[in-house]
Amino acid sequence: MTRAVGIEARAAGIEAMNVYGGMACLDVKELCLHRGLDMPRFENLLMQEKTVALPYEDPVTFAVNAARPLIDALAPEERARIEMVVTCTESGIDFGKSLSTYVHAHLDLPSNCRLFEIKQACYSGTAGLQMAVNFVLAQTSPGAKALVVATDISRFALADAGAIEEWAYSEPSSGAGAVAMLVSDTPHVLRIDPGAYGNHGFEVMDTCRPGPDTEAGDADLSLMAYLDCCEGAFRDYSRRVEKADFRESFGQLCFHTPFGGMVKGAHRHLMRRLYKTPPKEIEADFQSRLAPSLAFGKRVGNTAGGSVFVALAGMLETAEINAPMRVGLFSYGSGCCSEFYSGVVTPESQARLRAMRISAALDRRHRLTIADYETLLRGESVVRFGTRDAELNHQIVPDAWPVDAAGDRLVLDAVVGYHRKYIWI
Amino acid sequence: MDSDRIAEIIIAEIRSTVPELEAQPITRADSMADLGVDSIERSEVILATLEAIGLKVPMVQLHGPRNIGELADLLHAKSKA
Repeated sequence: MTRAVGIEARAAGIEAMNVYGGMACLDVKELCLHRGLDMPRFENLLMQEKTVALPYEDPVTFAVNAARPLIDALAPEERARIEMVVTCTESGIDFGKSLSTYVHAHLDLPSNCRLFEIKQACYSGTAGLQMAVNFVLAQTSPGAKALVVATDISRFALADAGAIEEWAYSEPSSGAGAVAMLVSDTPHVLRIDPGAYGNHGFEVMDTCRPGPDTEAGDADLSLMAYLDCCEGAFRDYSRRVEKADFRESFGQLCFHTPFGGMVKGAHRHLMRRLYKTPPKEIEADFQSRLAPSLAFGKRVGNTAGGSVFVALAGMLETAEINAPMRVGLFSYGSGCCSEFYSGVVTPESQARLRAMRISAALDRRHRLTIADYETLLRGESVVRFGTRDAELNHQIVPDAWPVDAAGDRLVLDAVVGYHRKYIWI
Repeated sequence: MDSDRIAEIIIAEIRSTVPELEAQPITRADSMADLGVDSIERSEVILATLEAIGLKVPMVQLHGPRNIGELADLLHAKSKA
């Protein structure tokens, strides 16, 4: 494949990456049955579990817990080169102060560092990654690294029946999780193809977070916007990248995953629109090039800003990678903005990702009962946006509190004068 | 092609996308959601219908109709525009 004209083959991309899927999860089928949802073809949705954030888990704890293993693995001189911490989220906890300040503090990073936050619904993670990649490619600070963390939780401090109804459309798929990525000029996990990207964005009111603790949306409109964007962003990519071919150029594909069924729908849509591929061939292509990317997403639910990277991690965990391979990534954020871009992974990428032992960490999450989940949903223990003072009850679901605590997991302990206080457990 | 003919195409695409509805009577007044066609399947029905009538418009422009008749009317209006 030919790169866009005028782009040098400089290396930049993801050096190290980790997914953190929280402390507790819920069986999605059980939830759907409990809600009395009529889902005759539930299996088509490709959902299994979702992470549920406990009251003492917030976007900061998710972000720090995702990033800490990456930072711990660095030599002091490497850590000193982290010159930018970007948090990517639609779950902000303050209109002014960014999550990145807390993340920076709890990871004990150097003070000569840019700290800021990016918002554009589920597109935020890609916006953050591209920001960091361009910082590296521009060589404004040769050898510098950036820490990009996409972190999101579902809002479920549901004030009243109206809010619960608004949320119902996405309750089964709404998850929580963070993906931390160290971006540098030694991209062991994903080497970005410089200049190979395509965007598609337009104003649409498909899903939103209109209040501090509310979500609203229209599933049909959101799906339609996602489908339009998938096609539009790929067409823009092929305008920039000579000979790009959706079927041939990418060994694996990783899409933003609200739930697996939506990715499957988008893939089918694109194959049909671009090539009029017959259904059987589309299904085989989906199984070989997209199913691996669902490995973690179907266990944590929609992680919003991090979702496309949860897909990348799942693919690296489960796909067969024997030689360098080009991967196509598609990110979509409601509202809306999207991007199709690509990079190269290698067997080393796979070995490094597998060494994070993400799957084992997901296995260790506490499995909530519906009764526990309902207790959490009532939101009595949730720290709502704008809370001045609070003490967190760490025993709200006693069995979820880890017995093997090794001092390497951050949780929220209190809020004092709006300042969030965290402890390592 | 008039709106009734487009509705017939939509109904045929519904039956082909969701074979469980093969034998069920479906009219312009029915909504796909009420028939048990999920959101992914609804988008596939719309895409297949667009192909069948040779119309190319962004999917988001087809949001809003509450039943098959309204969708057929909208597609009819778009195909004349």
